[in-house]
Amino acid sequence: MTGMLVKNAYVIDPLSGVNGEIMDIAIRDGKIVEEVGSGAVVIDAGGCLTLPGGIDSHSHVCGTKVNFGRYMSPEDMRAGRTSRKGVMHVTSGYSVPTTFGNSYRYSSMGYTTVLEGAMAPLEARHTHEEFTATPHQDMLANTLFDGNWSIMEAVRDKDVKRAAAVVAWTLAAVKGFAIKLTNPGGTEAWGWGEDVHSIRDEVPRFGVTPAEIIETMIQANELLNLPHSVHIHCNNLGVPGNYQTTLDTIDLAPDLNKERQSLYLTHVQFHSYGGSTWKDICSKSEDVARAVNARPQVAIDMGQIMFGRTTTMTADGPMEFKLYMLHHNKWSNHDVELETGSGIIPVYYGRKSLVNCVMWAIGLELALLTKNPWQCMLATDNPNGAPFVKYPEIIALLMSRKLREYEMKVIDPRTEHFVPLFAIDRELDWYEIAVMTRAAQAKALGITRIGKGHLAPGAEADIAIYPLKPDELDPSVDYQQVMAGFAKTSYTIKRGRVVARDGEVIVEGANSTIWTRAEVPPEFDLNNDPEFVKKFEQYYTVRMRNYPVQEVYLPRGVSISTEASL
Amino acid sequence: MRVILKTRPRAKPKIPIEAETIIPQNFLRKNDILVYEGNKERKLEDLFYVTTEGPAVSPDQVEVILTGNTGVIKRVGEYMNAGRIIVEGDIGMHCGNFMSAGEIIIRGNADSWLGREMRGGVIRCEGNAGHYCAAGYRGEKRGMRGGMVEVLGNAGDFAAEYLSGGEVHIHGNCADLPGVEMRGGTLTIGGDCLRPCGNMTGGTCRVFGTAHQMLPTFRRNGSEVTEYGGKQYRMAVYRGDVANRGKGTVLIRE
Repeated sequence: MTGMLVKNAYVIDPLSGVNGEIMDIAIRDGKIVEEVGSGAVVIDAGGCLTLPGGIDSHSHVCGTKVNFGRYMSPEDMRAGRTSRKGVMHVTSGYSVPTTFGNSYRYSSMGYTTVLEGAMAPLEARHTHEEFTATPHQDMLANTLFDGNWSIMEAVRDKDVKRAAAVVAWTLAAVKGFAIKLTNPGGTEAWGWGEDVHSIRDEVPRFGVTPAEIIETMIQANELLNLPHSVHIHCNNLGVPGNYQTTLDTIDLAPDLNKERQSLYLTHVQFHSYGGSTWKDICSKSEDVARAVNARPQVAIDMGQIMFGRTTTMTADGPMEFKLYMLHHNKWSNHDVELETGSGIIPVYYGRKSLVNCVMWAIGLELALLTKNPWQCMLATDNPNGAPFVKYPEIIALLMSRKLREYEMKVIDPRTEHFVPLFAIDRELDWYEIAVMTRAAQAKALGITRIGKGHLAPGAEADIAIYPLKPDELDPSVDYQQVMAGFAKTSYTIKRGRVVARDGEVIVEGANSTIWTRAEVPPEFDLNNDPEFVKKFEQYYTVRMRNYPVQEVYLPRGVSISTEASL
Repeated sequence: MRVILKTRPRAKPKIPIEAETIIPQNFLRKNDILVYEGNKERKLEDLFYVTTEGPAVSPDQVEVILTGNTGVIKRVGEYMNAGRIIVEGDIGMHCGNFMSAGEIIIRGNADSWLGREMRGGVIRCEGNAGHYCAAGYRGEKRGMRGGMVEVLGNAGDFAAEYLSGGEVHIHGNCADLPGVEMRGGTLTIGGDCLRPCGNMTGGTCRVFGTAHQMLPTFRRNGSEVTEYGGKQYRMAVYRGDVANRGKGTVLIRE
């Protein structure tokens, strides 16, 4: 292979400490190298913004619940239709598009790695099959442990090592990447028709509290030396006054890891509400941001909502039921035996709704009030807050106070009494946006070691070249150009191949699925644990030997091996 | 302006034509109009003999007349917002989808999904209509929101499903489940029907024939006299659907 040379690029690569240097990037065999020969294919970036490939650290794009969203919303499939063109498949759908639709749209925005936010272990095969059909992004799957009975037993017995063993066995079996806790304890309680309302409430029938689950899992995660931290969707999502739960959860996070956070809180916008009812809901983003600023061991993502139609889907069954009681539209709830649950309902976020306007403001406030951009990532919890195609708009809102003021005029005028957003002057710069959309994600997910999120020699050649000239643009005024630029790359390069050009995908994808394998000592290998095997055969409706996902489901699997300190 | 579209003979006449571009506003411009024959994109002239008579400056003045083997043409009048379409025969599925104004007259029968999610305007079908006449699309919360659909013959299953505004008038019989999930608007059935208005939450349905297998979730609420076709009828009034805390009204001839 002759290699490729990207010339004249305006590079921002926060992990390598590069901020706005005009430089050349050499690529050979899918990796970034020091230099290539004269026969290399040359791409002239012409001084345009060049960043490492984008990474989405929390998105719902593959798996059973996403598919359920697709088939319960046939009307959504009427939007976003594109016909077959070159190598591109037909796509359709707006908030829950087809897998190829997701992949092409991410690619044209320069995203090359996506983390699926919640995979039920029992239903992992479906997720992996859809990963294979999302060909232009490397995929990772957060694995749900919030209501796992074996975990709850270990937590009750205060046996961190046992919990770690269960995590290691499950991640290896279902080819998952990290631990996800969705409404820990609450989803399982919902399986019995109940819920938990604070992290100190006991989960009925299990004798544990959400706080104990979270603390045990954080320790188990560090015992296994997993690349990512515990990824948590806090209790009480979407409940007015829930910021207290969020602060309590942040307080639980110890500082156990020097390289990254010890607790990742996702879609924090949905968890930063003050007030006591929908009528007096207000923003508590200042309190939450202050807590995050004070604790470097915590990272969050925004969970920004954007106005328009979308579909909410989460493993948080009780929350979706509460949403159904508000909307009285179609809904779904689902229980995954012994593990977790889920729920899906379509929603519409309107500018005329005060509650929605407050939610919209909170997401932006979190990003603007968190001092360190490495601690607050840009995400919409796609598609819960908005489909990911809205990211460019969010970037523009963060970079331009003028655009925020313009928006203020068209939303519910009462909003400003409930949120501090319009008193915040901060405008993010290109570097901070680069951190919030790729570098911070790579660091938080712990995938810099496999060459993600940076452009130093040896890294994977995932590069996004945007048609934006940071020297000539003032993002606080030219927000329209910023939006258009981030929506469509000039070139998206994935593992050394140009995959998208001016928003159109031009090659067949060949992604890989990244999963973790924690090597545990033989006494902690649950395959040899008679008690675990007995319980598995007794309670599950599948046989233990049929449970693990076979290698054939991951045609290009990449495993990150870690040595557990058990 | 009058545009006459007569279908050309085709080697495989059963292959459907998808023609959402056949709407009056498109004939004002001189651009090519493209339609699909099966999965192949074709020019309008390849499938139709096109005759244009007279001038027009606005879409209101455009009248499109479809003749020939029109029963295989789908999606005629989709998003139509002015003018008139006259079909001198049968019409295929999805005629008048989302139309917001104007008029469609069908001299023959209409296939399923006639006037689905229509916003305004008038559709008059002089033959029978298929299933889902004036209904919502699968999954959509609201179906037809305004305008008028009149069918002189019979209609198939799920007529006026998710109706939330406007008026649907079927002179003949309806098959199973007319007016199911109704939220507003008026549905008038001149003949018989089966299991009307399940899960309705609003709107009015009047049945001047026999409602077979009436659902048990409607509460009798007296009677009243209604005029229909120049005659007075005594109607039983029902409120419901109680199972859905509905506030709809169903009037059935006593």
